[in-house]
Amino acid sequence: MTYSSLLFIYIFFPAALGIYLITPKKFKELLLYAESLVFCGFMGIRVLLFMLLYSIVNYTAGLLIYQVKPKVKCVPLAAGILFDALMLISFRAEYFSYLHDFIKLPEGTDIAGISIFTLSAIGYLADIYKGSIRADRNFIRLSLYIMMFPRLIMGTIVSYDTFAHTGRNLHINMAEIGSGLTGFIKGAAKKVIIADQLFALYSAVKATALSELSAAAAWLGCMAYLLCFYFTLSGLSDMSVGLCRCFGYRFPHSFNYPLFSPRIRVFVSKWHIQAIHWFRKYITRPLSSMTENPYISKLIFAGVWALSGIWYSFSIGGAVWGLIIGASVIAENKLSKFRRIKPNGIIVTMFILALSFVFLARGNISSSLGYFAVMFGGNGNLADSFAVYLLKYYIVILLVAVYASTDLFRNTIARVKDMRFGRAVSSLAPAVLLVLLFICTAFMAYSGQSDSMIISL
Amino acid sequence: MTFIMGISTAVIFGGGLTEGASGVSKKDILIGSAGDKLTESVADKLPFVKQWRSIGAETGSKTGEPVVNDVYISEERLLDVSERSLSSAVNFAKAVNSFDKSYGGTLYFAAIPTSTGIYGDNLPSYLSSVTEKQLTDRLYDEIDGNIRKIDAYTILKMLSENYICCRSDTKWTSYGAYCVYRTVIQKLGFIPISYDKYTIRHVTDNYHGNLYSRTGYMESKADILDIYEYNDGTEIIECVGTDYDGVSKDIGLYDIDAVESGNPYNLYLGEPMAFIKIRTTVNNEKSLLVIGDETADCFIPFLTKHYSEIAFISADRCGENIKEYVDTDLYEQAVFLVGLDYITEKY
Repeated sequence: MTYSSLLFIYIFFPAALGIYLITPKKFKELLLYAESLVFCGFMGIRVLLFMLLYSIVNYTAGLLIYQVKPKVKCVPLAAGILFDALMLISFRAEYFSYLHDFIKLPEGTDIAGISIFTLSAIGYLADIYKGSIRADRNFIRLSLYIMMFPRLIMGTIVSYDTFAHTGRNLHINMAEIGSGLTGFIKGAAKKVIIADQLFALYSAVKATALSELSAAAAWLGCMAYLLCFYFTLSGLSDMSVGLCRCFGYRFPHSFNYPLFSPRIRVFVSKWHIQAIHWFRKYITRPLSSMTENPYISKLIFAGVWALSGIWYSFSIGGAVWGLIIGASVIAENKLSKFRRIKPNGIIVTMFILALSFVFLARGNISSSLGYFAVMFGGNGNLADSFAVYLLKYYIVILLVAVYASTDLFRNTIARVKDMRFGRAVSSLAPAVLLVLLFICTAFMAYSGQSDSMIISL
Repeated sequence: MTFIMGISTAVIFGGGLTEGASGVSKKDILIGSAGDKLTESVADKLPFVKQWRSIGAETGSKTGEPVVNDVYISEERLLDVSERSLSSAVNFAKAVNSFDKSYGGTLYFAAIPTSTGIYGDNLPSYLSSVTEKQLTDRLYDEIDGNIRKIDAYTILKMLSENYICCRSDTKWTSYGAYCVYRTVIQKLGFIPISYDKYTIRHVTDNYHGNLYSRTGYMESKADILDIYEYNDGTEIIECVGTDYDGVSKDIGLYDIDAVESGNPYNLYLGEPMAFIKIRTTVNNEKSLLVIGDETADCFIPFLTKHYSEIAFISADRCGENIKEYVDTDLYEQAVFLVGLDYITEKY
């Protein structure tokens, strides 16, 4: 079950929220945990048992790190991190899919959110090790941190401390629920209306042999992938943040209109904020603190970006994507320092992003280089009827996607609110949201869900 | 609210999580496919589902490529663009060859293209990576040389200017079936009945077929279901269908009431049956065994003017012991008449 399914939107979520709201405060955490177990149960009893085992291992590792002597606490830390990383690799990397086969999941089934909760769990163990937090003796709370259903799919990666603090200070009122629902519907619209159409465009280009592609079609495919990737991630992330808010948990958004940034640096600061923060906090900083050599620090910076690319796609292409982003930031800083070239401008940033996302899309270097060749006219064909056909049908959604990925809409609304008729415009918001939900429902009325996923974290 | 209560009740109280209501088995719960099955079930039970799907198709085709649920929407017709694989042709050919080895008479084979095969030339190449022409060629290559092949693809392709395929369904029209009948019946050793001898009855001009059901696209053009009648004095003495549970009952060549049902195409030979036996007043002691899918339904009535006995076995039973239903050796001729969509879907 995904957030973008009729079963979730019209049955599971209303039922779960309804029961949650009427439950006394002291039992809310327990109830949310029970509901999360049911949600995970929809992925199969085997997956549910796996996630319980995963919780137990991290709970035990956390307690051991906290209780054993300082000299040996690195042992349970290493064991816990190794376990978490192995599980992540087993389920996400193609070459290590033995565990997937071992628990006999149907082909194509993933453990939803494993990338997200693995980072959360490793962060939890590392924080105990560093002494920033104590190991929680409350198993249910820790297990909820790992498998809480509103956060499970592409949810915000927050530290355990923040999570526990938020859980103790729940904000549950109609305004919060309204705000949460707004975020959820916006996210659903991003995923179901925009990302799915872009996925179809990307699939059309991908299904065509590279030797038959024109440069224009290749660029369309590249832009479709980039935008689809962003709208899938940010859509599901918005849905998750909205859901959490309905249940009283206020978590920050992960994306802040990163795509059309004037610099790569700005892009980096707005892209998947909490996940990138996690890599910086738990990998870049500890490694950089070991050296004073600026070149090695830069190498570490780019290397960690490569690691985050691997985290996205578990492919060489993902690593190259990360390396390009990391190297671009370093180069940008260097160049702007000498003021020889001012590599600012949305076009330059977008160009770099487009090229880097080709690696993420194709997965390997040779295929990506082949695609580059086509993008720059290597087939001797700049545009063909196929590109015109795609442009004819997808121009509307491409323009909508470009507009929605900038902060223009948000800024316009903010300005309108300040105007004299701002109130009247604001009162239209619920109607607009209902229309969006209506369209999402219509799109999901075939299979019951929006099942095209360009990435599954 | 009623919807939520209804589904919740079905799931919680109506056995939705047990085999039956939503087709969810214990294995599904174990391996995790229960969620997907329940999700599909919710979509099917969605109130005003037709209207929702229609809005989805309308909006989807306006904001993107006109492909909805693997159906290409054009002004003239709907076309199935599901993924096809040449391996299905190979697998089906194996089943046909295997039947031929156990059969003593002369076997004929005709693969019937869908509307995509006839009208899909202008589709973008990525939507038809394996064309029906390629599928047919591969199928005919794989089928043993002693089986007599009938090239229905070329016949229909040549007549594509005519109303030979439904606009909202993958299947042919009665006229398409008649065009192929003319060739088939000659190969079987008879003279076909000429077109002008038939009285054509339009049973409905509001048939919305399987492609319409998949898209819900309300602006798609409806189709006409015809009955070709030729009164030469031949009558049907017996027409008995045996369903998939083994229960036999009298049926007719046409079930007019089906036009008002959920599947109006059941007009031809009624509800799907595993086996149908037809006896006629034709006095030539000739008998024919037909193995086919739903595509053959509107073809069978044309044959009844030539044979004293026709046995029609569902192609679903092809891999099983057909002799449970009929002694195939009693039929000196047999014809495989199957739609390419059936082959790609089942094999």
